[in-house]
Amino acid sequence: MIAIAVLSGFVLAVFAPFVHRLTKPLSGWVLAALPAAIFFYFVQMMPQIAHGETVRAAWDWVPSFGVTLSFYVDGLSLIFALLISGIGAFIVAYAGGYLKGHKDHGRFMGFILAFMGSMLGLVLADNLITLFVFWELTSITSFLLIGFNHDKPRSRRAAIQALVVTGGGGLALLGGLLLLGVAGGSFELSELLASGSIAENPYYLPIFLLVLAGAFTKSAQVPFHFWLPNAMEAPTPVSAYLHSATMVKAGVYLLARMNPILGGTDIWELVLPVFGGITLLTGTLLGLRQTDVKQILAYTTVASLGLLVMLIGIGTDVAITAAVLYLISHALFKGGLFMVAGSIDHSTGTRETVRLSGLGKVMPLTALAGLLAGLSMMGIWPFFGFIAKEVIYEATLHHDPRMWITAVAIIGNSLMLAAAALVGLRPFFGKLLQTPKEPHEGSPSLWLGALTLGVLGVVFGMMSHFSGEYLVAPMASAIGGRDIHTALHLWPEVSLPLALSGVTIFLGFIWFWQIDHLRSLLYAATQRLWGPDHGSDQFLAALVRVSKNLTGLLQTGRLNFYITFTLTMLALTLGIPVIAYGLLPTSIVLPDVALHIYGVFGLTVVGALALLFARSRLQAILSMGVTGFSVALIFLIFGAPDLAFTQFMVETLSVVIIALVLLRLPVDTYDRRDFLPSLRDAGLAISIGVAFTSIMMAIGAEPLDLTLTEYFAANSYLEAHGRNIVNVILVDFRALDTLGEIAVVLVAGLAALALIKVRDGILTSPDANRVTREDEA
Amino acid sequence: MEPILAVVVGILFAITVFLFLSRSYVRIILGIFLLSNATHLLIFTMGGLTLEVPPLIPPGATVPTEAIANPLPQALILTAIVISFALFAFLLVLTYRAYQALHTVDVDEMRDAEPLVEEDGA
Amino acid sequence: MTLTDWTVVLPVALALGGTALCAVFWWRPVIQSAIGIVITLLMLVSAGVLVCTVATEGPQTMAMSGWPGPFGIVFAVDLLGAGLAFVTALVGLLILIYNFGDQSSDYRRVGYTPLLLAMLAGVSGAFLTGDIFNLYVWFEVLIIGSFGLLILGGKKAQLDGAIKYATLNLLATTFFLIATGLLYGLTGTLNMADLASKVAAVDNRALVNVVAALYLLAFGMKAAAFPLFFWLPASYHTPKPGVSAVFAGLLTKVGVYALYRVFTLIFPASDTIFADLLIWIAGATILAGGLGAIAQTDIRRLVAFTVVGGIGYMLVGLALQSPLALTGGLFYIFHSMLISTALFLAVGIAGRLGGSYDIAKLGGLYRARPAFAMMFLVVLFAVAGVPPFSGFWPKVVLVQASLAADAPWLAGVILVGGFLTLVAVARAFAAAFWDNGEEEPPRATHYGDRVGALMLPTLVIIGLSVLMGLAAEPVVQLAGQAAAGLSDPSAYIEAVLGGSE
Repeated sequence: MIAIAVLSGFVLAVFAPFVHRLTKPLSGWVLAALPAAIFFYFVQMMPQIAHGETVRAAWDWVPSFGVTLSFYVDGLSLIFALLISGIGAFIVAYAGGYLKGHKDHGRFMGFILAFMGSMLGLVLADNLITLFVFWELTSITSFLLIGFNHDKPRSRRAAIQALVVTGGGGLALLGGLLLLGVAGGSFELSELLASGSIAENPYYLPIFLLVLAGAFTKSAQVPFHFWLPNAMEAPTPVSAYLHSATMVKAGVYLLARMNPILGGTDIWELVLPVFGGITLLTGTLLGLRQTDVKQILAYTTVASLGLLVMLIGIGTDVAITAAVLYLISHALFKGGLFMVAGSIDHSTGTRETVRLSGLGKVMPLTALAGLLAGLSMMGIWPFFGFIAKEVIYEATLHHDPRMWITAVAIIGNSLMLAAAALVGLRPFFGKLLQTPKEPHEGSPSLWLGALTLGVLGVVFGMMSHFSGEYLVAPMASAIGGRDIHTALHLWPEVSLPLALSGVTIFLGFIWFWQIDHLRSLLYAATQRLWGPDHGSDQFLAALVRVSKNLTGLLQTGRLNFYITFTLTMLALTLGIPVIAYGLLPTSIVLPDVALHIYGVFGLTVVGALALLFARSRLQAILSMGVTGFSVALIFLIFGAPDLAFTQFMVETLSVVIIALVLLRLPVDTYDRRDFLPSLRDAGLAISIGVAFTSIMMAIGAEPLDLTLTEYFAANSYLEAHGRNIVNVILVDFRALDTLGEIAVVLVAGLAALALIKVRDGILTSPDANRVTREDEA
Repeated sequence: MEPILAVVVGILFAITVFLFLSRSYVRIILGIFLLSNATHLLIFTMGGLTLEVPPLIPPGATVPTEAIANPLPQALILTAIVISFALFAFLLVLTYRAYQALHTVDVDEMRDAEPLVEEDGA
Repeated sequence: MTLTDWTVVLPVALALGGTALCAVFWWRPVIQSAIGIVITLLMLVSAGVLVCTVATEGPQTMAMSGWPGPFGIVFAVDLLGAGLAFVTALVGLLILIYNFGDQSSDYRRVGYTPLLLAMLAGVSGAFLTGDIFNLYVWFEVLIIGSFGLLILGGKKAQLDGAIKYATLNLLATTFFLIATGLLYGLTGTLNMADLASKVAAVDNRALVNVVAALYLLAFGMKAAAFPLFFWLPASYHTPKPGVSAVFAGLLTKVGVYALYRVFTLIFPASDTIFADLLIWIAGATILAGGLGAIAQTDIRRLVAFTVVGGIGYMLVGLALQSPLALTGGLFYIFHSMLISTALFLAVGIAGRLGGSYDIAKLGGLYRARPAFAMMFLVVLFAVAGVPPFSGFWPKVVLVQASLAADAPWLAGVILVGGFLTLVAVARAFAAAFWDNGEEEPPRATHYGDRVGALMLPTLVIIGLSVLMGLAAEPVVQLAGQAAAGLSDPSAYIEAVLGGSE
């Protein structure tokens, strides 16, 4: 059943374009039925999970490698699954309205459903490899979604950037997960969680760093934060879904999931809060620099992710509770705000905050949704965001007596508050301004989701007992790996956290009031700054350059280089062992044989040397003849008349053919090389020659095993009925060689025939010619 | 006897290599010719050398009556000779066609498959 | 001699018979194509039977003319050889179908089918033979076949590519022949199973290592391993896509197969200098392929470099030699045979649609042909090893094997190589498919005639690749069993030599 819940998204994705075509005006609502059904399936699991039970289901996938298709539902994965499927249902419906009339609408629905399936798989997977498969699938589907407006260079750049950053982090993660599987003794998360921390393992540090690389890239932590704002090139449903509520939280999910296994160490408690805190500040500051609503939201998402990482890093019961509270409330308000931003864009044709004002009158329902989400993000009572903020301060105060983290949190939260006011409140109040399109309220699909999420933000806040019992406690316990049950209070006690809340709101309103000054200040401060966004372009450009240069070193396109390099490798292959093993001959004993044998040897060498120094074609052909025939003589002298005969034949033919061809090539065979290259070539030539001689002498000094020869001699006549043993070997013992040899001759003939028949351009069809011209351009 | 032939083969290989390193493809063709001869002699030497006793079984006998030359390398070389001749012939035709099409036998001027890229565009 | 004995040689015999038959019908390209398809279909069936037999009954042998090993030439097939022969037949069949759509009948008239069948004969023969000199002969058969295929069309770039390809491959094959001559001098035998024990018995290890090094050079060059891969990107992009596809799918794998065979059976690489050497070669090949791909502006050259990178992954398996690593390496070989073929097939369709192979000029195919674009993307992701496609599993296994072998840097290289390939393919996809350029409305694209013949084989291979990714277990099982046969070749040796004693 869980598998169906996860995999059905992919199945529907394949058919989504068809479904879309059939049910066109309502396709969003129709397709949203699946995520809704999945949502309710997970809702009915809530009581069970809230009682501390877990559910696991597993099927063999690649059992030889210990890979199971296994899913594990506990508090953490359940809440994520609920967010993914619940928000997913609204997003699918929203996309139905948002992209109405777009020519790739159906394809888009398919991508988004496939993404939902990937994301559900990611959070529910029990097996580490399965988790990674789904992790990569989210990267792929996100690549397709960010590049959806593929006509725009900015979209393409953002898509590649996101894929490169998250894909690169993913590969690090794969390394980390594989190491973890080995170090932890299991590839099932449920078993790893049961056996607890591996901090003592020698592989802890590499595992920690590799997993962190995966999580930080996916969850856009500094210095990998830049891809997320760029990903806003995607249509708004994508931003609302992937880049606020779900995919970017995958890294946070991973850290939360790994907390019982990797958490609680000094390095964990140092690195996570530091990077999280820096990301929080960077995100908010860069966000307020923007005027585009989606950009502001994107940067505050970066900031929120930083806050979550910081809290998980602190790791106390209160901090984990705070992280859970903030994660849920963030998913609700940020998903809602993105949808609101999309609706405003859809209706007015602009997303510039400076041009948006007074929309509350014409878009009342969208305005209400924006207001609810905005107030929750600002952390105003009685919203869920308020409770979250209280607990956050409680957590930071508890952990950190010197108030560093608390100070970061206050600054971050107050800046976030200003951003929320800018996006959630300001467009709806004041005087209506002129916008590119005439503003109007959108169809229900455009506001229903945002409104529902906004209302939930209040409901969860008001019903803090319920949300504490069914949402927060199970998830916090799963993250902590221990029972964490923090009571939530809608009515705050008068305490330090409440006072800090007051400070935050006060500061936030100052920022908001002075937003124009703040913006120009921030803009001036960061304008000239080198940032990793630019850096990623430089990285890719450098990669291409390095690749071009390095590849150019070997792939020169010059045959002379290729041959020189190959023969140098041959010289090294032979020369190094010859010298290392001391195979160089010390002396040569001249055997006492007839002089004519030396004569034949001498003739062979002279012929070859004459070839080397041949200045004319005729001279070269003659030298070839001399060498070839003297080799034949060698065969004859040493008892190989068949060989000699064949050699004579073949040499004669070769000489005839080469004469025919050479006479048609109006070129000199003599080549002129400069002195130094000649010297280098000669050195290479001599070392290869010496190496071959040495190796042959060394092998010749070993006794030759003649078992085969004796067998042939014994059986040639008796069994194979032939007196010429060489012939018997050729036609009987090793007949297959001869068959192959005949095949080579036949095919060489065919190939040569084809070569002669085919003339440039004549045998290419008109259709193929289009390509042909390119080739020759 | 084998060491002497080993020296001859070594010299042949050295000359082959020098021919291969030329920029003229015609010289490389000559190198290919020499390379196959050197290789066949190498195999021949590896099988051990016996003077003037072909591997034949005399009439009337069922097995060779005296020490014979090793027939196996001879059979291998026969196969190899024919194969290298076929390849050599094909290569000659290819060279001729390439010259017709490319108007050069200078291997460094043959850049049609991998043209030089002038601009350093990223 | 039973029927199963005959299946051992049947793929080769069929392909050679088909070549001869096609030569008879030289001027009848349609008949040639029909012969080709029937022949490859029969090869596929016989190789399939062979795989089943070998999987259940262990290595099969057939001694030619009844002369037992090591005296006669023995065809000896273990699961690796049988599996490779099967994929070879499959690729051959699909390529022949593809070429119905790819070329005018004029083009086929000049010998496409017989040359392809000859090459398939050489490739299958290389996978099935148990004799090292006979292996050389099959190498020559496949090389001369590939020469012929490479120049079909006779364009300038092809002739230039063919000169480079032919010269360098001729050098490599000659190195192979020289090494075999030296090995004979050292051991007096040519049968690979016999060599296993004979080489082990040689006292002078220096000479054994020299010969092994020469084999490494020769086969490494054939396999397009670092640093001797340049002949591949210099030539693979020049012929018709249907030819490039079969080259990419089959030819380098013969070199890899030969390395696997020689360095597990004859010169077991574990605990020798060659294991270390192979690790370096493998890592460098992965990086060279990935880096090379990024810089390319011609999509065919980009693909050619990914083929080179793939060789590196296969060599990792051989270098580490643990059963896990060998399993991963073999899985990668099967994956790569399919996906390299699919890449060039898909590139061919893209080139026909876009009228160019220049990535910058292709443009706009996503808008014009979304279904084809998604197909292409699947292939690209598969070659980059992105889950859940077929390239992912071997990568995971090889990383695991590297970690187990205490070579974390090699695991890092494997992952970085995947990253580089991902960057290359994502950039290429964005430029060639997403970018509509200045053209508005987007350019008209035409598949042209007989597009079904192009699409069918491409889709079949992509489907198989996806299937290998989603349902990897059967492939893993087969690869594991084949790897076990390599780690412990006693069953192979027994099958070859058992009868002679």
